[in-house]
Amino acid sequence: MFTELNVFKLANAMATHAGTRQALVSQNIANADTPGYHARDIKPFSEVFAEDSQPGDMRASRRDHLNGASGQGMDWAVSESDVGTDPNNNSVSIEHEIMKGVEVKRQHDKALAIYKSSMNVLRTSLGRG
Amino acid sequence: MSDFSNALSVSASALKAQATRLRHVSENISNADTPGYRRKTVSFQSVRDMDTNVENVDVGRVHLDRSDLDKVYDPSHPLADTSGHYEGSNVDLMIEIADAREAQRSYEANLKMFDQTRQMSASLMELLRR
Repeated sequence: MFTELNVFKLANAMATHAGTRQALVSQNIANADTPGYHARDIKPFSEVFAEDSQPGDMRASRRDHLNGASGQGMDWAVSESDVGTDPNNNSVSIEHEIMKGVEVKRQHDKALAIYKSSMNVLRTSLGRG
Repeated sequence: MSDFSNALSVSASALKAQATRLRHVSENISNADTPGYRRKTVSFQSVRDMDTNVENVDVGRVHLDRSDLDKVYDPSHPLADTSGHYEGSNVDLMIEIADAREAQRSYEANLKMFDQTRQMSASLMELLRR
């Protein structure tokens, strides 16, 4: 357990994923009235994580290889959706984005809680609990 | 962490854009009875920040609505022509109020996202305490 602290790595990836997605949700809501803007999103963490654990999938050779993603070899490609476009060719639905925002906030809180709890376990085992 | 600052900056740019739009709407409404006034319209555009790859919102140039001015019949008005009409403004209050309401809703949504990003950043910093 102590040579490779996977739980910290996972919590870190989850929090970073939430941060990246939050930036995209903010960008979508900011551009909700911009003509010609299409909503952007990355895959939910569960899908990204499930794909990452499969053997033989595409790996990034460099950190910024796959669309500037900073995940550890995970596919954080930004996709554009154009469903439900408005007359001004804008596909942002504010309700949908707010829902995603709540989801992201909960995911981030969860990741930080996991990190904190693991840190407490580690601290207790060191005898300074 | 830079994701958070990107999110904050894009939300801030949108708040500024919506406030500018609301300012022009109130300008239109306050000049609704000014003779010869043409309503002003703003359009939004996204500007990509080359360093962070974020699409900030910016208001483009202000355009004047070129549609015909309203003809008001009032023979006693100083600006009235021989037929007793003068040119009013082409502001439609219904459109302006609807636009103002939409701007307000978008402003609120952006403010909410700004606050949420700030909270997430604060709880991340909270990890360092103790």
